[in-house]
Amino acid sequence: MPEADRNADVGETAASGGATAAEPVLKVRDLSTRFFTEEGQVNAVESVSFDVHDGEVFGIVGESGSGKSVTALSIIDLVESPGRITAGEVWYRNADLAADMREEHPEAIDGEYVDTRRVPEGVRRSLRGPAFSMIFQDPMSSFNPSITVGEQLAEAVEVQQRARANPRSTRSRTQGYGLGRYLSDWMLPSRSFVSTESRDRAISLLDQVGIPDPADRADEYPNQFSGGMLQRAMVAQALAGEPDVLIADEPTTALDVTIQAQILGLLRDLQDEADMSVITITHDLGVIARMCDRVGVMYAGEIAERGTLGDVFDRPIHPYTEGLLGSIPDLDDPAPRLQPIEGNVPELLDAEMGNRCYFADRCPKAMDECVAEKPAEVGIEGSDEHRVRCVLADHEYDPARALSTTEREREASADD
Amino acid sequence: MISPRTIRNLKAEFRGSALAKLGLCIVVLVVAVAVLAPVLAPHDPTAQNLDRSQLPPVGFSTTTNSTSTEMVNGSLQVVNETTEINATLTYPLGTDSLGRDMLSRVIYGARTSLLVGLLGTGLAAVIGVTVGLVAGYYRGRVDDALMRSADVMLAFPSLVLAIALVGLWGRAAWSVPDPLVVLGITPEMPASFVLPGTVIVVVGLVNWVWFARVARGEALSVREESYIKAARSVGASDSFVIRKHVLPNSATPVLVLATIQIAAIILLESALSFLGFSGTTLSWGFDIAQGRDYLASSWWISTVPGVAIVITVIGINLVGDWLRDALDPGIGGEGGSGGA
Repeated sequence: MPEADRNADVGETAASGGATAAEPVLKVRDLSTRFFTEEGQVNAVESVSFDVHDGEVFGIVGESGSGKSVTALSIIDLVESPGRITAGEVWYRNADLAADMREEHPEAIDGEYVDTRRVPEGVRRSLRGPAFSMIFQDPMSSFNPSITVGEQLAEAVEVQQRARANPRSTRSRTQGYGLGRYLSDWMLPSRSFVSTESRDRAISLLDQVGIPDPADRADEYPNQFSGGMLQRAMVAQALAGEPDVLIADEPTTALDVTIQAQILGLLRDLQDEADMSVITITHDLGVIARMCDRVGVMYAGEIAERGTLGDVFDRPIHPYTEGLLGSIPDLDDPAPRLQPIEGNVPELLDAEMGNRCYFADRCPKAMDECVAEKPAEVGIEGSDEHRVRCVLADHEYDPARALSTTEREREASADD
Repeated sequence: MISPRTIRNLKAEFRGSALAKLGLCIVVLVVAVAVLAPVLAPHDPTAQNLDRSQLPPVGFSTTTNSTSTEMVNGSLQVVNETTEINATLTYPLGTDSLGRDMLSRVIYGARTSLLVGLLGTGLAAVIGVTVGLVAGYYRGRVDDALMRSADVMLAFPSLVLAIALVGLWGRAAWSVPDPLVVLGITPEMPASFVLPGTVIVVVGLVNWVWFARVARGEALSVREESYIKAARSVGASDSFVIRKHVLPNSATPVLVLATIQIAAIILLESALSFLGFSGTTLSWGFDIAQGRDYLASSWWISTVPGVAIVITVIGINLVGDWLRDALDPGIGGEGGSGGA
């Protein structure tokens, strides 16, 4: 039955892929996530919208604290208290799910799309794995040290199998997992309850991500793996549910450069093989250049500039994008000093976020109009994808109207 | 769940600590005595022999004013006589006021104490760990509700609460057949063994709060680990995450607490049976209570079970210290050097 389902899914995807190639698999609309801290409301993600197409790699790049990771966690619905997703829609294309949900939640259905923000919590959880799955930054801490790697992978496989037996039911997790088994697991926590099939699948997943001797390695504990191996195992765990969209949150940050290259190559290969979509989140423009088809540059919870790789890297408009690109050492012209962007990412406290360009305080090309009104996102001629939230998209920088230093300082002290 | 490193730590700590060895010896001894009680006990612990009442332990002798009633020519006469009582090897630890062998009673008392200690701790751990893990994992209002109710439990003095609950439910005693007697190895011993049911439930309900607090603290820190997020990102449900990831990684401090709680519950059981709330008469606390009336003449009736309690509790606590030093290096640093 699950086999048949999957085949049907594949057929469906192929058919729709042929007919409507431009239909994205994921449409994020006006997603806003707020953190309600003691210092006040923090707007970590502010009306973010983007599409992810079938089989593409979409990159989100930005400094630390620009809201990249929270965006990812918001999509997969893993934002923890005191954070909360306050607005927005996450439209996920799945004809089967749409048909199942149409009766109960007509407001969450649009054609083949399902708004995961408006379906019940249990359905959102059942989507984790087969629809979305995530790779985390630090492989060392992303595995439970007291369970073998193989068992953790097998668990992920079993979670998915249980879900697939009755894919969209909120009670799917208890299928084939009765009270007796629950009690015995509870009483005997050391009892390994993974089946032979899921263990075999775990080993083949390890093999798929290029771990040598997968059968032996499956019985080892995470501390017996190297960082690169663990990140491969992490990828394997994320692949267990055969996700449509894989979210990689800084997948290479904790790894050294040679291993980084291996992991990126692995992700690229797997993405080609399985034809899944990948959202890569990173602060490393090298990773973006290597991996991505399209890029969104995030600043202060917003997407400041987006477009194809060529649009953003070769023809950047937003001074922030220029600044990020200026922070990369250039091998051809090893200038003595890099040009970092001055200052820090704002704290994103709601009270301090006025109706203005959030980057103006740090922007070398800030003009008077930047603090007068928040610039709208406008398209750039010459590319369908290239869109920028900056006044420079409209007119050239004019030094005569530059935001003076004194004025900028006054702005800053007013904020404090 | 028990990693080779844990075993290595346990061994290293054990080798370096004389107290750990002593503690383990005591615990093994007490457990062996409790399990093999029918074999080890020289007499039936409930068999009365008024002719040989209040015999002193070996090495002691005592002079007692004994009062007896005798039938003389059809009329009842009270005879007061002062007798010199010498110890006899038949009753190495003496006899109580009804002539029951103290050694056998102490041996059987170990059963009651250990069973109540283990089952009561088990019950407290199951309730407390469940409550604590749920509270710590979900935080927020769930946490507040559960832990405030735990605080309410904590506000009652545990002995008073236990007495109130025993009063409420009565002294339900479960009669458990003794396997060694059923198998015919020791047919002369009592065929069944009385388990003080209410006491077990009560000590469990009184002591779960400590487990809840420890488990909650662990869950609060474990829930922040990346592997929890990783497990959830592949679709694992909350109960699955709590069971497979939070529980095993919270087990160590719970285990250490459990050993110490066994000792605390043995003391609580003794106190309850001393006060007469236990369902069994084969209990150290009960013997202390019945010896209280004879303290002036027959001090051993109270002293022998009292010493047994002290030794058992010390042994269990030493084992608890050993586990804590071996499993929890953070605390072990200060505690270990202070103890050594």
